[in-house]
Amino acid sequence: MDDQMYSKKLLTTLLLTLLMVLAACGGNDQNDEAAGGEEEPEDLTNNDAEDTLVVGLDDDPPLLDPHLSTAQVESQIFKAVYETLINVDENLDPIPGLAKDWDVSEDGLTYTFYLQEGVTFHDGADFNAEAVKYNFERILDEDLGSPNASDLRLIEEMSVEDEYTFVVELEEPFAPFLSGLSHRAGQMVSPEAAEDESIDLSNEPVGTGPFQFVDRTAQSHLEFERHDDYWGDQPDYQYLEYHAFSNEDTRITNLVSGDLDIVNRVAHKDLEQLEENPEINMSEEDGIGFQGLMLNTDREPFDNQKVRQAMNYAVDRDAITEVVFHNGAVPAVSPFAPSSWANNPGLEVPDREVEKAQELLEESGVEDLSFTLTVSPSPAEQQLSEMLKSMLDDVGFEVEIEQVEFGAILDRMYEGDYDVARLGWSGRIDPDGNAYSWFHTGETYNFTGSSNEQLDELLMDARTTIDQGERQEMYHQAAEILWDEAPYIFLYHENDYKPMKDNVQGFNHIPDGLIRPADLTLE
Amino acid sequence: MEQSQNLSVQNPKAQNPRLRILQTMLERLLQNKLAVFGGVVTFLLIFTAIFAPWLAPHDPTEQNYSAVLQAPSIEYWFGTDNLGRDIFSRVIYGAQVSLQAGLISVGIALIIGVPIGLISGYYRGFIDEYIIMRMTDAMLSIPALVLALALAAVLGAGLTNAMIAIGLVLTPNFVRLIRGEVLAHREKEYVEAGKASGISDFSIILKHILPNTIAPIMVQATLAIAAAIIVEASLSYLGLGTQPPNPSWGSMLATGQGYLDSAPWIALFPGALIFITVISINLFGDGIRDMLDPKMK
Repeated sequence: MDDQMYSKKLLTTLLLTLLMVLAACGGNDQNDEAAGGEEEPEDLTNNDAEDTLVVGLDDDPPLLDPHLSTAQVESQIFKAVYETLINVDENLDPIPGLAKDWDVSEDGLTYTFYLQEGVTFHDGADFNAEAVKYNFERILDEDLGSPNASDLRLIEEMSVEDEYTFVVELEEPFAPFLSGLSHRAGQMVSPEAAEDESIDLSNEPVGTGPFQFVDRTAQSHLEFERHDDYWGDQPDYQYLEYHAFSNEDTRITNLVSGDLDIVNRVAHKDLEQLEENPEINMSEEDGIGFQGLMLNTDREPFDNQKVRQAMNYAVDRDAITEVVFHNGAVPAVSPFAPSSWANNPGLEVPDREVEKAQELLEESGVEDLSFTLTVSPSPAEQQLSEMLKSMLDDVGFEVEIEQVEFGAILDRMYEGDYDVARLGWSGRIDPDGNAYSWFHTGETYNFTGSSNEQLDELLMDARTTIDQGERQEMYHQAAEILWDEAPYIFLYHENDYKPMKDNVQGFNHIPDGLIRPADLTLE
Repeated sequence: MEQSQNLSVQNPKAQNPRLRILQTMLERLLQNKLAVFGGVVTFLLIFTAIFAPWLAPHDPTEQNYSAVLQAPSIEYWFGTDNLGRDIFSRVIYGAQVSLQAGLISVGIALIIGVPIGLISGYYRGFIDEYIIMRMTDAMLSIPALVLALALAAVLGAGLTNAMIAIGLVLTPNFVRLIRGEVLAHREKEYVEAGKASGISDFSIILKHILPNTIAPIMVQATLAIAAAIIVEASLSYLGLGTQPPNPSWGSMLATGQGYLDSAPWIALFPGALIFITVISINLFGDGIRDMLDPKMK
């Protein structure tokens, strides 16, 4: 183990050194150019600026295969190149996508999809019921190991009725089924491209979307071009580019300077400044995710419920939303945002109660309250972690802050190698997507190691119940159990902000936070 | 220092030659106005660092959420940062961190570098020529900041590890410098005389050669402190040095970078202090060099 750690560190060092040297070389080039003086500052894009939309992303998307994807930033790209069977409107209700209509049997077990005709993939392949079947089978294929297979897991049988009619039989009713089909599980890749060994779908996506893939420069940008045979309305512009800027300040500077047309994420500290800028329009929408602290309940001191509860009262959620998020977030006590029908209005955000937290810690009898808080290295995360440290140290915890790259945090989660981690969820349309895989025993994102029978039962029942009123009641109860068990400290629900240049029109802000580039027009 | 000042008011002719040399050197230093300025500022900073707990009006890590991003005022002389902490107090405590990093890392470099340089230069031979010198060449060929970054990454983030990393990075400079000095001295007659009269190598190196290399070491060490402060600030800026919430000029600068438009004071004051400190120490170091080297005009 130690050896492994050592060799890992050594490798990191070597890579880092190499990177540094490369970075140093790169830096010199830039300086040389700057020294040259008379050259025009280079635009981000090589394409005709009038006919190009440039989107700024908060990270380079790792995997462009929708069936393997887990990162939110990848879904941004999918909205250009792929299409889903089902779409959602502003209220997150299902509307037609590649399926122009569908029927659900009364028992909730049979779904019949009537597919859009005359749709072709970017490689020329036809989109039809066989293609849908191929895609579903691909997601369910254990060899592929799709993290999105759980959305389709309850499928018992699927059949191609005719070229444009596709029927699915479920083992039991599954309420979030359509919502899953509006996300990654419903994204249709070209069967021909997926079978072609020479095409790496993770790097060169082939779908039916309004834009087709042209080129990718890793850690920099992706280029797309209008798909001339697109079945729907043609986009207003020829070229589409995505540029990744993980540094939030750089991203915003590029928007303000005019190099970017629209940006997927903004640091809340910049909100006021951007709202005052006459050349920038800002769209705001309630978020559907949740953010907070994941506690490792397999480790001391968080194996003790009272210690976890103490944390719930030690944090000042109002101060966090005000200081770090400039009121662009609302305090959270459950996985369901206030705008969700699943939200339990009976659960109120408690004030910070230092004495109550201290009492709980005393009752717990735990003496060693030291732990490491793992956060990703962004400025906002650092600010938040320093606040949390101050609040928690105050009641008797001893917090050490550790900054780790986001990808590395995820790796450590899967290994269970952490005390407390700052990790949240961008949210799903159906409340099931915010609860089941996060808090059900042994599920994909339940890194807390916690397990509660009653909660498991509720979350499972809520999946297989169709009636929304009954489901609502179940989620209300689930939220109460989660608050009491406290395997996860809910801190805030972040609002979604999309700043864009004033010549970008047609933006339709859907709470899933995804930019649908074909809607946009350039004036 | 005090002693020589007292002596300087006495009649020079009444003193022994050693003191007279000290006095002329001091006079030379005092004539150099930039060096005096650098020295005064450096000592002010050292004073500030030592008496930080008495000088700082606020606790440097205390967060005040009702006074976030306040512009400089009577209550907060240098304003407050994004967590409502007093920047003036943080800058004062940051001086502690910076000077500590400068002194300790140069100390590490001296402890390792001086003995290696002495032995390597005195005995020469295969190890000197092919191992020690080539290793220093290799280390010096990598930019100091890059090497420090790599080392700090291996050792792990934190001020102590950062100081060790910086110390190791500075070491080859001292090895080379001292080896060069020893090479010049070992051929001199006093060394030969020492050898002839049967004094051990150890005491020749320690009692006769080392004292003669003190002057260049002092100059180099002073300048290295300034370099070490910059490297520590850079490492902290990149998150590898001083860890939050402890104040360091480098990490304060990193925080301030995101607020250059809305709250420029967050970056301005620590940035200005890094600049002033480094330039003062450099001016002072240059002054000492001129003072010690009569050939320089």
